[in-house]
Amino acid sequence: MRGHVAAPSTLLVAVLLVGGCGAGSPDPAGNPPPSAAAPTAVAPPSAVPAAGTAGPFSPTDIAWLQLTVAMAERLLPVLDLVPTRTTDPAWRRLAAEVGAAHRADLDRSRRLLADSGAPATNPHEGHDMPGMVTAEELTALGAATGKPFDRLVAQHLRAHLTQAVRIAGAERQNGVHPATTALAAAVVRAGTAELARLDRLDRAPKTVPAAPSPTGAGTGRR
Amino acid sequence: MDRAAPLSGIHRRLRFAAAIGAVLVLLGTYIASTTNRADAAPGINAIRVAEFPADCTYSHRLPDDPIIFPGLPGASHMHSFFGSTVTNAHTTLPDLVNSPTTCNPRTDVSSYWVPTLYNNNVPVEPTIVTFYYLGEGVRADVVAATQPIPQGLRIVAGNARATGPNESIARWSCLHAGHVAPSKDFVTCPAGTMMESYLDFPQCWNGRDLDSPDHKSHMAYPVNQACPATHPVHVPKLRQVLRYPVNGNPAQFRLASGAGYTMHGDFFNAWPVAEMARRVQDCIRPVIKCGHDGRPI
Repeated sequence: MRGHVAAPSTLLVAVLLVGGCGAGSPDPAGNPPPSAAAPTAVAPPSAVPAAGTAGPFSPTDIAWLQLTVAMAERLLPVLDLVPTRTTDPAWRRLAAEVGAAHRADLDRSRRLLADSGAPATNPHEGHDMPGMVTAEELTALGAATGKPFDRLVAQHLRAHLTQAVRIAGAERQNGVHPATTALAAAVVRAGTAELARLDRLDRAPKTVPAAPSPTGAGTGRR
Repeated sequence: MDRAAPLSGIHRRLRFAAAIGAVLVLLGTYIASTTNRADAAPGINAIRVAEFPADCTYSHRLPDDPIIFPGLPGASHMHSFFGSTVTNAHTTLPDLVNSPTTCNPRTDVSSYWVPTLYNNNVPVEPTIVTFYYLGEGVRADVVAATQPIPQGLRIVAGNARATGPNESIARWSCLHAGHVAPSKDFVTCPAGTMMESYLDFPQCWNGRDLDSPDHKSHMAYPVNQACPATHPVHVPKLRQVLRYPVNGNPAQFRLASGAGYTMHGDFFNAWPVAEMARRVQDCIRPVIKCGHDGRPI
């Protein structure tokens, strides 16, 4: 039983130390902030400090926001190609609406990221990440038209949305910042609806007279 | 002679005391120097290289990164993990401290990970994986003042976003084929040899943060053989050496992060504090090559 008493108090001390340091604000009880240690001394461990902000952003919140910005920045050029490459009104409408929704998400993510005080970039964004359209794929899209173009767009959009829903689900579950987890929940809802809409559009008979849809079109990259 | 004559008894006693003092100082210096030498070189065969190693074979693959994408499983490109066998997107220090490990020594429960190498889209894992902890790249007095790497410190090295060799510190070469010039991108290794990757991690710590928002700025590389004032704490330099069982034309090779120059490494230190401190004390500061057990070779 003695161990039960000792362990929680040790834990409490650890939580106070880490919490005080991570939040960067002095303890209301008037204890000196642990970060006051001399810079050369081995100070108490801190998690990723949200320096200069009062917002309780966790490393998960920040990582998700960074990734969401990076992913949206990759998707938007794809959607922007749609009106110039296809005449199918259903595809044009889908691209316009998904594009508008993602621009709004991008805007909110950037503002939250600014609030967090974290850098707007991260060391892993901007390259061959799951769900991201590569530069080569974007070039290939630029050269395609008609049905092959529609198929490629569907494939990229499905890969993007699948990944976006997956990581937003993780953020909703593991993040802590209320506005950020709320945005993640919205991304899960909207992304799931967009995927369902994409499935209907991708598999429905096309209005334009064309050859039957090849099987396996738009099955994504996974 | 004349000068000696007027010496009083007091003067004589003072001079005697001074002489004794001088002898004591000399003796003390001698003892100190021999003791230092004895500490620095316990065996006459000690190899004067500040080094201790950990060999950690391949453990598992996951599209996870607990440093860059903590709490977000599946958010990363594919990583190959070494050391701790439990690492995933949710891993924190307590998870590592109690985890099984692939490392020799078993006491190293740290986690190390790199982008997975693919040959014709088939994953290839390195068969020889060594993490050297070194005291080099800085002045001798800086090496002598090396501090242990704090438990929980996270370090990333290399540039996963490099768009060309000029943005990279990667180094690819061939094991047992030194005549092949090293490159920042994949190299063509002769049949019977292995392609290898070297990567040096930054060794100057800001003394305060175990991680930073960009995961880089709490660490720095040395400047002019010393740690910069912003990152004054010198810790052992981690050198990652991976030997892959591939050779020949690298056209079909790629990393999960892209070309060879996107090679990067992530390190989450979970060495027991005392084990790390002992190795720094016995191997790095006195400049002695140690084995996996942290004892002089």
